[in-house]
Amino acid sequence: MKIFRLLTPLLLAIVAVLCFAPAAWAFCGFYVAKADTKLYNKASQVVLARQGDRTVMTMANDFQGEVKDFAIVIPVPTVLQKEQVRVTEAKIIERLDAFSAPRLVEYFDSDPCASAYSDNLPQSAQAPAAGRNQEAEKRSDRSLGVTVEARFNVGEYDILILSAKESGGLETWLKRNGYKIPRGAKQLLQPYIRSSMKFFVAKVNLDKFEESGYQFLRPLQISYKSPKFMLPIRLGMINATKEQDLIVYILSPQGQTEITNYRTVKIPSDANIPLFVKDEFSEFYKSMFQTAYTKENRKVGFLEYAWDMGSCDPCSADPLTPEELKEAGVFWLNDNSPNNMPVRPGFRGSFASSNVFISRLHVRYTRDKFPEDLMFQQTANSESFQGRYVLQHPFQGEVKCQAGREYKRSLPKRFEQEAQTLAKLTNWKIQDIRNKMNLTVGNLTYSWWETFLSWLGLN
Amino acid sequence: MLLKDIRDYQILFLGLFLVLGIGTRDWTLRPELIVVAIATCLVTQWIFSLVTSKEQILNLRSALITSLGLGLLLRADHWTTMAIAAAMAIASKFIFKFGDKHFFNPANFGIISALILTPDAWVSPGQWGEEWWYGLLFVGTGGMILQRIGRWDTTAAFLGTYSLLEAIRNLWLGWTWDVYWHRLMSGSLLLFALFMITDPRSIPNSRIGRIVWAMCIAGLTFILRNYFFVSTAVFWALFALAPLTILLDVLWLSPRFSWQEADKEAGEEVLLVQTRFIASLIKNAEV
Repeated sequence: MKIFRLLTPLLLAIVAVLCFAPAAWAFCGFYVAKADTKLYNKASQVVLARQGDRTVMTMANDFQGEVKDFAIVIPVPTVLQKEQVRVTEAKIIERLDAFSAPRLVEYFDSDPCASAYSDNLPQSAQAPAAGRNQEAEKRSDRSLGVTVEARFNVGEYDILILSAKESGGLETWLKRNGYKIPRGAKQLLQPYIRSSMKFFVAKVNLDKFEESGYQFLRPLQISYKSPKFMLPIRLGMINATKEQDLIVYILSPQGQTEITNYRTVKIPSDANIPLFVKDEFSEFYKSMFQTAYTKENRKVGFLEYAWDMGSCDPCSADPLTPEELKEAGVFWLNDNSPNNMPVRPGFRGSFASSNVFISRLHVRYTRDKFPEDLMFQQTANSESFQGRYVLQHPFQGEVKCQAGREYKRSLPKRFEQEAQTLAKLTNWKIQDIRNKMNLTVGNLTYSWWETFLSWLGLN
Repeated sequence: MLLKDIRDYQILFLGLFLVLGIGTRDWTLRPELIVVAIATCLVTQWIFSLVTSKEQILNLRSALITSLGLGLLLRADHWTTMAIAAAMAIASKFIFKFGDKHFFNPANFGIISALILTPDAWVSPGQWGEEWWYGLLFVGTGGMILQRIGRWDTTAAFLGTYSLLEAIRNLWLGWTWDVYWHRLMSGSLLLFALFMITDPRSIPNSRIGRIVWAMCIAGLTFILRNYFFVSTAVFWALFALAPLTILLDVLWLSPRFSWQEADKEAGEEVLLVQTRFIASLIKNAEV
């Protein structure tokens, strides 16, 4: 199978995405979070559903400005026809986000004097998600080595497919057609043109937009066939001064997807942290991400979630229905023929799976540490992973037995441990954490003589 | 006895990389799979030695090196995949022989077998990161080993050719040079160049043969990586060109490598090198 993949289309070139936004060039011109989910300053969201060399890419569109100002330019490997482009619902990306977001779970200690240890069922709270956005412009054509290969309309978007011979020509064409091209774009367009790509240009058809009755622009979804599995981030960094966040949801039939030209690192997980974090979970997660990012020298991609889409434990949102998965671009769902499905030769036959595996990669990138576009590879790694943070509530009732007293005595050590963990994960000041914890667990502190006695090993 | 054989160094270093990798890298590397690889390699070696009874002493070192190489490079979702890879790796040494020389690199053969035969094997080229000290560690230790066994020419020819081709491509595409360095600074590429294509038992015997051979592998790697987008390009290139060893050995007769007299043959062929090199290019073009 793999050999066939190698031998297939040599000429099917790269898929890359670029957009021209006047202010910020995020991954595809998507920038700035939505009002309600403002976790990161600049975060783009992309869904990639891929099997073999077929890819369906969905790009979230949270463009907030005047709809007439919106435009996007995306290099694609081949001339896309109308049936390869569609619009989808923003809800589907929100669903994927909710399903895969890092989560906070709560456990409640049982009465230490009751005989059996039984964990209460965890309750989970979901981390606030990322935001996105986008923008640009365009118009007629001219002979600058730029050819209009196709022109069609999909939903509220007018779409053009361009091919270019030379970056100067393309730049001039785009400028003449009203695009605000940042300085330095010409040099960066050249590698993509030389990799013989076409340019997908979309802008909003205002009449159609009003007809549609939607308040926001819907995500664009394109499908193509190419052996290259990558996302271009280089163009988005032309005039970016700060780091940018990109969240990629990769849906694959077999297992985890990893980055091949940067390290993929699991986000710290399964840590017991103090209870007060419940009220500031998004602050916690942001600080923790930043700490991990700095610790890894700002040059790795983080895996935030990897799971079979058929289940979750604990669930931060219901698993997606088959219809939703199809909407997200999963095209192999009904494809149960043995030829197309990866068949495990009896190794794990009993393992129930939905045939869709999600990897959520969170990449925070800057120009100096991420010179090259992101390249991915799908692996057979079916190991599950989730960013999961545990709140362990102590038993609050009266304790009257010996075990209960020992339990109570063990608590301060546990709280201190949680404080240390939190400080290590987030780089917050340990003293601040202790102060905050005292507020929430003050009723569990001991008088000095109790502590003294326990220190002596008495009591 | 320990550290007398040059392969003891290799075992030591590969083992060290494994421990370092598990300790400091977020690898999807599972210790039990490494145990499976080692056990399978040793058992297969033992069985084949019994059957063929050619190797009087059980060749533990070689089998151990192969299994450590597999443990470092190959990832699998299930232990059977690792076992298949390890068994195929050792078996290839006994089956694919020309004269008494095996021409596939065992670990490479194991990796490719697992990629082809099982659905759950993969190689993680990006997981090494590009930390400088890793690179230095690899270069330093690898260089030490190589100098002692006199096969640094293969590494130099491979890395030289590959980085030249990448440089030309980078220049043509118009990328900045940090893109180029980033592409070259891959731990698995270096590991491959230093440990896999230098195995004296499976590469051409003459220096000129080795240089030509390494350049061909570099060229194929370049094509597979950049035009077919294969992330495991180096392994496929070595696999595809391994049989070329036989041809190159016939073209340039040279005494077969023996571990004991490793240091002897360093600069003997200097005079003949230039004429042979030109001939090799012509021959190779025909191939």
